[in-house]
Amino acid sequence: MVRGAGRFGAFAAALVVMGFAGGAGAQQTVKIGAIYPLSGNAASAGNFSKAAMELAVDLINNGNPNLKDLPLADGKGLPGLKGAKVEIVFADNQGTPAAGQNQALRLITEEKVVALIGAYQSGITVTASAMAERHGIPFLTPESVASNLTERGFKWFFRATPVAGDFARAYSAFLKEQGKAGQKIGSIAIVNENTEYGNSVASVIKEVFAKDGLNVSQVIPYSANTTDVQPQVLQLKEKNPDVLIFISYTSDAILYAKTMKDLNWKPSIMIADNAGFNDPSFVSTSGALVEGLVNRSSFAVGKPGSISAVINELYKKKTGNDLDDPSARAMQGLLIVAEAINRAGSTEAAKIQAALKATDLKATQVVTGYNGVKFDEKGQNVLASSLITQMQGGKYVPVWPKDKAAGELKLPYKGW
Amino acid sequence: MSSILLQVIVSGLLIGAVYALFSSGLTLIWGMMNVINFAHGDFVMLAMYTAFMVWTVFGGGPAAAVPIAALILATVGVLSYFLLVRHVMKGPMLAQILGTFGLALLLRYSAFWYFGANFKTLPDNILGPPFVFGDIRIDAPRLLAGTVGLLVTLALHLILTRTALGSRMLAVSEDATAAQLMGIRPERMQAVAWALAAGSTGIAGALIATFFYTSPTVGETLAIVAFVTVAFGGFGSVPGALVAGLLIGVIEGLSAYLIGPVYKDVIVYTLFVLVLWTRPQGLMGKM
Amino acid sequence: MRRYLIPGALGALALAYPLLTMASPVYQRLGALVLLGAIGASAWNLIGGYAGQVSVGHAVFFGAGAYAAIGLYTHFGLPPIAGAPLGAAVAVLIAAVIGVPTLRLSGHYFSMATIAVAELVRVLVTNWEWVGAAQGISGPAVPRTVLDLSFTSAMPYYYIFLAVLSAILYLTWRIEKSRMGFYLRAIKDSERAARSLGVAAGRYKLYAYMLSAGLTAVAGSLYAIMFGFVDPESGCGILISVKMLIMAALGGAGLLFGPLVGALILVPLEEISNSLLGGRGAGLTFVVYGAIIVIIARFLPSGILALFLSRRQLQPKPSAAAKPAAAEPSHAA
Repeated sequence: MVRGAGRFGAFAAALVVMGFAGGAGAQQTVKIGAIYPLSGNAASAGNFSKAAMELAVDLINNGNPNLKDLPLADGKGLPGLKGAKVEIVFADNQGTPAAGQNQALRLITEEKVVALIGAYQSGITVTASAMAERHGIPFLTPESVASNLTERGFKWFFRATPVAGDFARAYSAFLKEQGKAGQKIGSIAIVNENTEYGNSVASVIKEVFAKDGLNVSQVIPYSANTTDVQPQVLQLKEKNPDVLIFISYTSDAILYAKTMKDLNWKPSIMIADNAGFNDPSFVSTSGALVEGLVNRSSFAVGKPGSISAVINELYKKKTGNDLDDPSARAMQGLLIVAEAINRAGSTEAAKIQAALKATDLKATQVVTGYNGVKFDEKGQNVLASSLITQMQGGKYVPVWPKDKAAGELKLPYKGW
Repeated sequence: MSSILLQVIVSGLLIGAVYALFSSGLTLIWGMMNVINFAHGDFVMLAMYTAFMVWTVFGGGPAAAVPIAALILATVGVLSYFLLVRHVMKGPMLAQILGTFGLALLLRYSAFWYFGANFKTLPDNILGPPFVFGDIRIDAPRLLAGTVGLLVTLALHLILTRTALGSRMLAVSEDATAAQLMGIRPERMQAVAWALAAGSTGIAGALIATFFYTSPTVGETLAIVAFVTVAFGGFGSVPGALVAGLLIGVIEGLSAYLIGPVYKDVIVYTLFVLVLWTRPQGLMGKM
Repeated sequence: MRRYLIPGALGALALAYPLLTMASPVYQRLGALVLLGAIGASAWNLIGGYAGQVSVGHAVFFGAGAYAAIGLYTHFGLPPIAGAPLGAAVAVLIAAVIGVPTLRLSGHYFSMATIAVAELVRVLVTNWEWVGAAQGISGPAVPRTVLDLSFTSAMPYYYIFLAVLSAILYLTWRIEKSRMGFYLRAIKDSERAARSLGVAAGRYKLYAYMLSAGLTAVAGSLYAIMFGFVDPESGCGILISVKMLIMAALGGAGLLFGPLVGALILVPLEEISNSLLGGRGAGLTFVVYGAIIVIIARFLPSGILALFLSRRQLQPKPSAAAKPAAAEPSHAA
């Protein structure tokens, strides 16, 4: 009953607002759809991304005085559409490609969204974006990295995130620099979970490292839903590599952190490829066990007053956690789409598509640490980039490259 | 033998004892009333959250969390029996799968709704530092869980074989009609079986929470191991579950260490299928 | 005449459904999804319902169909539908190989063995590069010709699925009326009794298993064609097996229309609850879904169609599983 009354109240309020706005042209709402894993195994990550995107919508509609450089964050809605408000409609992909595609259809035909964002897991991005392509609706993925996504000849598909090749080159450059500075990098082990994410990233790293003359001496794939990781850690302990790279989800990341301490083994440089090691659940439960862990991130909290610092504060107020990397990328994805819609000055799909293709955001205009946003003809953001962060006192601090660093890199790896 | 290989075996035995601990409840129900409880993994999950709550909200240690989890889970077990299982047992075998699978989803997502999707872990030093014997290291939570695992399976076995309650329960499972004629109330005995099974699962969950992460979907990961353990050891055989758990722990550890972690599941499932095909009653079960 | 009235009306409704839902692509697609679910569950019903051998591993066959369809496209550029017969053939072969040792097991032992085989296959597929390993493989994103069966509207899928389902139901009905159907029911009631009467129980169970496998593969191919993607979890995951079983059991296993009734309830329940509740991210979809399954299992353990059948028709078998409950008079509802 109370709910019904609330809804009626909102309806009445909307009528009043419309009455006032009527003279200046009715204010419309632009709907954007977001398909994320809100249940199932990846629900933790999906729900954090949801919170970040809600924050972005709040910034567009209500504004924040400390975010002058961030496009649209002045609270005037979408000026290109007479101040239209943005509404984000979430759908749960349930971790299955089928649900992802079914929900894409619903968002397009029932909710009449003008663009779609999602879908976290690459396999679900495949099926959901195919539905958007058939209906001629722009689909932007802020985080799915599978390389074939941009090779399908789609006209309505955009990807804002850096892909595996970008991370691999960053790791390679980073490690070589540490080698010159006197750290041991003679043998490198890669430990990767065995689904699409871990396998694809591991194979790209191997390729790039081989080309760059770095010695990958050990590769250990494992299945993420494992009950025990002791054998893997013991294999590492036996070969004792200098550098260890983890490509893991949250549950296994937690187990590795604990088990390495239990079995008392650590390398001199430990790198984590984002994902599980960046999950706020991991940072809060196991951060103290991985002091000095080097991580890849597209988001890091910059100096006080910077866009990233202000946003992080707002996010922390909303959820109690620091903004993590995948959620920051999701938020950035929404801001890219909203900025394009605003520039298009229309909710027509073709105009939004054209505006997305013409996107040209500078490094100072984005939340994430990208060098900017600009899409190539396949829809890939060519300015996407990663920075290297390090776990220092329970927090990730950007340490490399130097021009984006906020703290000093401390090696060797300390652990617990 | 290299010290690392020895460590693999020791770790395998410890995790195996834990497998046995959380499988014994499943095997008990299976043997007593020929019911597969598809919600078993989610019972473990509830126990883990219970332990987590006792630790974080009330500041109690394992000494408090284990009995509380056992009590709560025994209650959940009895309720599941009276409200659901008792009724679905009257239908075909499919109805049990349907009912307990529905129960699994209900429990899993109620926890999801209440606790959120985030992973939780207990502080890592909650039971003190690991024990070190030369090159071999054994962390305290696993040692505790493994030891209690052995004790609980032993206790369950003794209850079933050496007590009047046990013989009455077995009588019901052999022939409920005959048992009733002898003045035993089958439903009461079956409810007791559910209380015992779910209670021991509660102990298991509370102990696993000391070294494993807790999340709403953790039960899925654990349930499949429990099924394999139970089928391996023989449906209904508590000592069978113990032997099978230890074996699986060591086989998993060795195959992951020697061949590669990706293949450990292949080897365990292959063995499992082979055992079922050649000796369906499992290692220690009766047909 | 009157006895044809209701079936005739339902048939006409089934034919007209996509036209009635032209205005809502989501509901139109829901119709196709219901039929797809019913195809899988009806295929399962042959061995799980009629023969009473509860397989929890049919995802192997579903995966064979799905991977054959997308695999032929990925590696040879053929339209995915060309993979359907190949998938069915592979599934029948697999069923023959694993059926011989597995069907000797009874009750829960059979169920457990099928789970184990399915999990084994899933792990192997996850490491098999030719079928895309963990990444999975995609079908044609944009249709090259109409043969790719890649449509924006759900209407073509609906009629294809309706035709396939009708064929499966007709086949099932013929089997039900045949000697084989009689034997299968006898095996379900008591395999020992059936054998003592001279029924070659092993052979007939194997036939039913192979037929069920082949038809399940067809469901897998159709799924892959509609969604254009398959990976180990969506092709061979345990949830695929469980869903087939649940749909059939919910409607009424071993009854011709049981799986369809189950699909008519479960698929809309899943889709609509996800649409209404999923976006909030609190997992409420599955709370509702789980609760409804529990309630149906509690009050209608023999499935919803049991409501419409007389007690006598359902009476004879307090199943082996319900052994201890034999103390009480067994009643279905």
